[in-house]
Amino acid sequence: MRIRAPKDFWAGLFFIAAAAVFMLLSRQYNMGNMHRMGPALFPTLVGALLAGLGVIIAARSFAIDGPPVPRFYARPILISLIAISLFGVVLAHFGLVAAVVALVAVAAVASNESKPLEVAGLIAVLIVFSVGVFAWLLGLPIPLWPEL
Amino acid sequence: METLGNLAFGLGVALSWQNLVYCFIGCFLGTLVGVLPGIGPVATVAMLLPFTFGLGPAPALIMLAGIYYGAQYGGSTTAILVNIPGESSSVVTTLDGHQMARKGRAGPALGISAIGSFIAGCIATLVVAYFAPPLADLALKFGPAEYFSLMVFGLIAAVVLARGSVIKAVAMVCFGILLGLVGTDVNSGSIRFAFGAPELADGIGFVALAMAFFGITDVVMNLEHTDKTDVYKDRIGSVLPSLDDLKVSFWSIMRGTGLGSILGILPGGGALLASFAAYMFEKKIAKPPRHFGEGDIRGVAAPESANNAGAQTSFIPMLTLGIPSNPTMALMIGALMIQGIQPGPQVMTERPELFWGLVASMWIGNLMLLVLNLPLIGLWVKLLAVPYRLLFPAIFVFCCIGVYTVDNKVFDVYVLAALTAVGYILIKLDCEPAPLILGFILGPMMEEQMRRAMMINFGDVTIFFTRPLSAAFLIAAAALIVVIALPSMRAKRDVALQE
Repeated sequence: MRIRAPKDFWAGLFFIAAAAVFMLLSRQYNMGNMHRMGPALFPTLVGALLAGLGVIIAARSFAIDGPPVPRFYARPILISLIAISLFGVVLAHFGLVAAVVALVAVAAVASNESKPLEVAGLIAVLIVFSVGVFAWLLGLPIPLWPEL
Repeated sequence: METLGNLAFGLGVALSWQNLVYCFIGCFLGTLVGVLPGIGPVATVAMLLPFTFGLGPAPALIMLAGIYYGAQYGGSTTAILVNIPGESSSVVTTLDGHQMARKGRAGPALGISAIGSFIAGCIATLVVAYFAPPLADLALKFGPAEYFSLMVFGLIAAVVLARGSVIKAVAMVCFGILLGLVGTDVNSGSIRFAFGAPELADGIGFVALAMAFFGITDVVMNLEHTDKTDVYKDRIGSVLPSLDDLKVSFWSIMRGTGLGSILGILPGGGALLASFAAYMFEKKIAKPPRHFGEGDIRGVAAPESANNAGAQTSFIPMLTLGIPSNPTMALMIGALMIQGIQPGPQVMTERPELFWGLVASMWIGNLMLLVLNLPLIGLWVKLLAVPYRLLFPAIFVFCCIGVYTVDNKVFDVYVLAALTAVGYILIKLDCEPAPLILGFILGPMMEEQMRRAMMINFGDVTIFFTRPLSAAFLIAAAALIVVIALPSMRAKRDVALQE
């Protein structure tokens, strides 16, 4: 047995795992019956369907040929995830201005074409724009500065 | 006559000066963001959603519609000048549009795209005005069983007509449904699948989901491939097509509009399918079979008209049934819900100003795009020159701020990061995100309708097959699956969607 369609194989496994998580979590809730459907019933049904599809997709990957899984480039995705999470942390404690600085400074690392001076300029522009448009023009309630 | 009266009423709503201003701002911002390469309409609408939070329902929806058309049009501009489709529905426009640009006819290509879109928009607005009310009347007679089956049909149709593997798309729908169920169950009050986070009691934010799958993951993918793009640098010159161009493309525009209007109503149709179908059709019937793929103006006129017509008529199922036919409409439904409106057939009778105001603003929006875009082409071209290394951090900033402002919860920013990770893996495994978004929006509605159906019928599952309309929807869904599973049909579909 050889995996001939690796993308399908891993996609199938992903779906099986996702279905398993939801079906297992559903066990904490009331199943009810078909007449009075409890909160667990519908997710369990959909989860079973998803698991079934996952099994078919994974099984099929031994029978039909498919392209290999493309390379995962660690830098863009990891840096992006860090930058976005950091935005949340900094926004909660230090306000929007600091959060934009952190997000852009870190995100710039994701591209190897970024230049330090340009990034500094971009930060300035984006701070002016986001504070001006979102906080002042639209009046959205975003904390701008650290609370003292 | 009644339709005309309704349209006049709608015009009265849409022509109030503030709604006009919102429509204008929407079109302008939509084009502005839509022109940027690599940002499709879904990401554009999601990113610009916060701009509508302070508004009432009618102006918010009018502005969003403007953003949507603007984004569509902006995508076409990018397709013609840079040869990068800003969105999937302008893929075919790149074929002849970019060839025209290379032959020094970028101006007429952009012009015919704007004119074709405008004509298509006018006709499609009438289609919406005529066909939406009877459909809503019909929908009001639907019971929960019919609704449930209709949603099943809608999801299957969306999946079959979309690109990629059908079985993976159905799996994505199921995964989307499950994600949609996260949060408080309205019937029992229990909080489901919250992973111990009280912030998830309200569910996963659909803005975060849309931005993660259509915005951030796209950026990350683009960062992985730093292709040199072929940006058009010459002067555009006059955007007015010659009389000859207009003559040649008139019937292409008409055919594109017709096809687009029909395909837009279908679930899963919308702009993407419309533009592909229109291009294929023109290529087939073109007499003499001139130079399609080498810069034939009809190869721009037809798909551009079709995608605009389809973009517009895809509002019909959204407004009358509350069922999204594509991810953008799913976002519109989400936006309505943020405004406290449950989309469905009752909107037309309970909130006529909302419905007819929106329909009228479709036409006004199209007119605005025509007057806005032709003179502003120069500005859009300058935007194209902004390098991606400056663009992508800005996209991140707007996505993060946008997600935060939905509920003013920092937690949603973390959800955005988590969903981006999931979306990245799925897209690497060739799992299309569009079905997931549809399942996400429809999941809770399906559960609710199924519950009601079971409640009235004492748990008798056969009700879905014994009520004629419900059975018809399910049979149609099953037929679609059978048809697509036939090897000969599958080959045809793959060819049609590949080109």
